Amino acid sequence: MNEAEIPASQRIIGILWPSFLTAAAATVVFFALFDPVELLAYTDFADSSRVGVYTVGFFLFWLLTTTSSTLTSYFQRPTRTPG
Amino acid sequence: MSQTTVNSDSPPARGDNALEQSLYAKRERIYPREVHGLFARLRLTGVAALMGIFYFTPWITWDARQAILFDLPARKFYIFGITFWPQDFIYLALLLIVAALSLFFFTALAGRLWCGYACPQTVWTEVFLWIERKLEGDRSQQMKLDKAPWSGRKLAVKGGKHAIWIVLAAWTGYTFVGYFTPIRELGQSVLSLATGPWETFWIIFYGFATYGNAGWLREQVCIYMCPYARFQSAMFDKNTLIISYDAARGDPRGARKRSTDYKSKGLGDCVDCKICVQVCPTGIDIRNGLQYECIGCAACVDACDDVMEKMGYPKGLVRYTTENAIEGRPARVLRPRVLVYACMLLAVIGTVVGSIVTRIPVGLDVIRDRNSLYRETQDGLVENVYLLKLINMDDVDHVYRLTASGIPGLQLKLDRREVLAPAGAVVEFSARLQADPYDLGSQSTEVRFTLAAVADEAITTTEQARFIGPGSGR
Repeated sequence: MNEAEIPASQRIIGILWPSFLTAAAATVVFFALFDPVELLAYTDFADSSRVGVYTVGFFLFWLLTTTSSTLTSYFQRPTRTPG
Repeated sequence: MSQTTVNSDSPPARGDNALEQSLYAKRERIYPREVHGLFARLRLTGVAALMGIFYFTPWITWDARQAILFDLPARKFYIFGITFWPQDFIYLALLLIVAALSLFFFTALAGRLWCGYACPQTVWTEVFLWIERKLEGDRSQQMKLDKAPWSGRKLAVKGGKHAIWIVLAAWTGYTFVGYFTPIRELGQSVLSLATGPWETFWIIFYGFATYGNAGWLREQVCIYMCPYARFQSAMFDKNTLIISYDAARGDPRGARKRSTDYKSKGLGDCVDCKICVQVCPTGIDIRNGLQYECIGCAACVDACDDVMEKMGYPKGLVRYTTENAIEGRPARVLRPRVLVYACMLLAVIGTVVGSIVTRIPVGLDVIRDRNSLYRETQDGLVENVYLLKLINMDDVDHVYRLTASGIPGLQLKLDRREVLAPAGAVVEFSARLQADPYDLGSQSTEVRFTLAAVADEAITTTEQARFIGPGSGR
């Protein structure tokens, strides 16, 4: 299977979607263990609402997992073209 | 039976290049043909029931509050009479294990039941398809409309379809957020355009996901995005219920008149009408064998039975069967794999139910005051200070009494003798422990705080802590 034959849209979904799933799981576990209010009590973000922190936290996790998936996808490319 | 596409992870054989390319080819739009029959009715029942549950549940009231509410801002989950706290996270983990085991069990037993009848992707796609059919007409009318140049009518039909889709998607997003924010109050703030930024965001996000997945992506979600579709083949065996074309009976295929004695012409029962392909929501030909794109919706079973009936042939050319049955071997329902999944499932469900029934609705957190290790009182006793956090997880108020043990002659000093905690409230208070340094075995001794409700002795919990002293007692 030639990598170049996979349409870009499917490659992008292949990166975003698994990272979305893992980020969602990470968000649930993380915020079940740590209460944002206590976590941010002594920082500049002390006034943030919990739901706001959950949302931002989810997107930060998603950014993290997307970065990881993108790197995996990038490193899977052949390092040289045959011939 | 052809197994070439069952395990999508295996490297393609030489002859599979065409297939492998088709997996990544530009998507051709699929127009599933409408289907009637036993399984279509079953699926419709499933769709109606699940939709009803999803859209109706947030409106149920229990004890003057929403019966099922995942109150994220307050970090409390209300499920009818029970309130769950972050401390109850174990139940969520167990619930996920139950869900996973159920999926294994039902997959081993009956294949992709989940995909065909219960998956939200199937359910919403079914509803979106129904709307499409009502506005654009049947399969051939839809194809004609898509090929036709843009006109006032086409604009009106397409615009109307998307408008209805968007309204339904928005309502879905609103209902989804209604599980996390009291739905009646949310409705009022939506009507007055006063929803909070995060609520607005999630309504739009979830609504958009519904519209995109059920309106546009459809079977692509199952084929490219669903992890279950990829790994479910690992739970299959030769006794798993699958949808299959009976090649021995159907082949060779060919068109014929109803009156023809097709057997003398050497034809099988398949009239090659291709209706089974037209009804397939993922656009495969079930006659090519078991394929991982097949979501087990049984639309082709209904379609083929209909044709067989018209031809006067016995039904079941395409049917629910097992690989063993097709090959003429005995099929077994109860086999080790199924029994193991069933036992594991029952064990975890038993644990969950048992622990919820015997759940003690009080929580205690003990944090040693970190500002000082210990201090000596005027009487020569060693004193430690603790910060205690009491969580009344019950739905009635309670008065609690605290005791401490672990060191001979240990004294507990409290500002008040009893602690009142309203239902569902967290109360923080400090406690001091005093002990004679002579009784301390080492620098750090384990002590136990026991909290018990005055009115109900069964509501009690014990928490451990460390008592720090000079360590040179003896």
